[in-house]
Amino acid sequence: MTERPSVLIPIQVLKGESIPDGVPKLLADANVVLLGYHVIPEQTAPGQARMQFEERATARMDELENLFENAGATVERRLVFTHKAQQTINRISHDEDCLAVLIPDTVAEMDDVLVAVRGAVGIDRLARVVDGVFSGSEATVTLYHVAREGESDADAQTLLDGLADRLTDNGFDEDRIETRVEREQDPVDAIIDATVDFDALVMGESDPTLATFVFGLPADQVADQFLGPVFVVQREQPETEE
Amino acid sequence: MSDPAAGDEPVGENIAGEAPDPEPESVTDETTVYENDVELERTIGLVGGLAIGIGTMIGAGIFVFPGLAATEAGPAAALSFAIGGVIALLVALPTSELATAMPRSGGGYYFVSRSIGTSYGAIVGLGLWLGLVFASAFYLVGLGHYIVAVLAEVGVSLSGLPVPPHVLLGLVFAVALTALSVGGTENTAKLQNVIVIVLLAILTGFLTYGVLDAAGVFGRESAPTEFFSQGQLPVLTTAALVFTSYLGFAQVATVAGEIKKPSRNLPLAMVGSVIVVTVFYVVTIFVATSSFGADRLGEFGETAMVEVARDLLGLPGAVLILFAGLLATFSSANASILSASRSVYALSRDALLPRWASRINLRYGTPHIALGMAGGPIFVLVATDQVEILAEVASFLHLVLYALICVALLMLRRRDPAWYDPDFRIPGYPVVPILGALASAGLIVFMNRASIMIGAAIMAGSYLWFRYYAADVELKGDV
Repeated sequence: MTERPSVLIPIQVLKGESIPDGVPKLLADANVVLLGYHVIPEQTAPGQARMQFEERATARMDELENLFENAGATVERRLVFTHKAQQTINRISHDEDCLAVLIPDTVAEMDDVLVAVRGAVGIDRLARVVDGVFSGSEATVTLYHVAREGESDADAQTLLDGLADRLTDNGFDEDRIETRVEREQDPVDAIIDATVDFDALVMGESDPTLATFVFGLPADQVADQFLGPVFVVQREQPETEE
Repeated sequence: MSDPAAGDEPVGENIAGEAPDPEPESVTDETTVYENDVELERTIGLVGGLAIGIGTMIGAGIFVFPGLAATEAGPAAALSFAIGGVIALLVALPTSELATAMPRSGGGYYFVSRSIGTSYGAIVGLGLWLGLVFASAFYLVGLGHYIVAVLAEVGVSLSGLPVPPHVLLGLVFAVALTALSVGGTENTAKLQNVIVIVLLAILTGFLTYGVLDAAGVFGRESAPTEFFSQGQLPVLTTAALVFTSYLGFAQVATVAGEIKKPSRNLPLAMVGSVIVVTVFYVVTIFVATSSFGADRLGEFGETAMVEVARDLLGLPGAVLILFAGLLATFSSANASILSASRSVYALSRDALLPRWASRINLRYGTPHIALGMAGGPIFVLVATDQVEILAEVASFLHLVLYALICVALLMLRRRDPAWYDPDFRIPGYPVVPILGALASAGLIVFMNRASIMIGAAIMAGSYLWFRYYAADVELKGDV
């Protein structure tokens, strides 16, 4: 049994950002949370922007909503005027219980999907995204893990097999699952190198560390380099948040 | 959370045929929600709210007024500041309660227009905008004095100009700040937070040293003076003058629509900032008058604190306080320009000013017209160089607003309409709002005649504008 996973698509609705070709089809089996947002400087009250731009933004949101609904997805839409894009994206992702955020990019043929598995933590949500989005398609998913120092190949393989089993238990076609273990110094570079042969990427959201402050989030680094859509699976949100 | 719509939807049209913007459907901790699932994100936290309040206030009380206040009231000026602080607190509490019931942009103007009536709302709303304009002009003249003092310190003197150098510099900064707000960088709020923290750190260090010195710890004689050296009445007139130092807490309410967790953060930011600055003001005056004596302090004028610092800590002290004074007056002026622009937006949203006044330009995403409607009149007022009049008119216009805020609270509590459901209820009702209203009105009596005349003229003009432009607009909820 496959659920429709909620996937958040943040769009800067008044900046002429559009949905790249192939993305609506890619999300045909998902529950699309379409977040149209408009960032305004601090000197401006968000309400001021709303008075002026609401009509234009709503019309644009109607178009985008149709695009996804015609492809077969269910759509929740939110339109937000904000000073801080990241705060809004996080809030909506939490509100709508989104499993993943999609960083959209053009996709022509959906044949090969790379699924980067970091570890056992959060693997449940990863499985739900892969299963929900891709089980109805023809695409082959490659479960991919970059082994850390001191981690044996057997351990890594067990991790990936565990995920593969979950998918097949849920009815995912076994022939469309492959696994691959890599050893390289830096996981982010390894993932970027590996994506060359793939049409889409599913990866986890990493914990904020010092490095993410310096170099940006790994997901963003990868998305910058990879010419295809990236699903960033969201961490489980703690119930009470400041 | 409370329902923000004050009972009924606003109705009517102004003479341009514009109707007030509909009220939002609901308010959450993180958003304001309008129909069609349109949301406005709340992005200012408690620290941001405190920074707006403290950052607006601390500029004037410490860096412009000590000299002026000491001349008028002697060492008892400290008492004047304390009186101002108590009055501010009496108003900040009712404002907090109303803000948690109606966390919308426009603050005090919004409460008054929704509960007492549209004409009152128009008077205080236009008064709030112009009051902030007067306040900004006052801060900018102060900033001019500080820059002149900095230049003098490095041996540059600007003489031979057709206008006094501090006025010229004030004018330059009026233009620069307006331009900065229009073409602005994204990090103005972060900058404001940093400025406030740096300021508080400098002042805490400086004042601690000053208090120890005044107590004789360092074995110096402090200047002996009689506390009420100028008599007792000047304490009240000085309180009226220096009340400009307490106008900032209401600026927190003007951005109430953007404050996260409004029911918690609005009261904390408003009441907290008033308490913090009151303590700083009173201690500053104490230190200043005990190091020099009130008379000599008065001779130093707007930059008296620099001389106090020089006396206490030598040249490094003077430089430090000059630097702090620059930051403080700059941040006060900047915060007031932004609040004035928010007030124009709130009035334009309610069709009391033309809708185009709050238009946003597409290039920068900033409200250039509203900012211009702040910056333009500020420029003119800076040119007058009337520090005391500017300060008092600003206070006058705010005090009228404050008195009516207290009245609004009394009305709402008495009638208790179904929509009025504040998360924060003030202690000491009805004594606090009654005292707040009386004290606010009472302070006006002690002002200069000229200030009262100008303030009254602005109120009359505001009323006439309302009758002419938007007489059919009805904003008042079901009270």
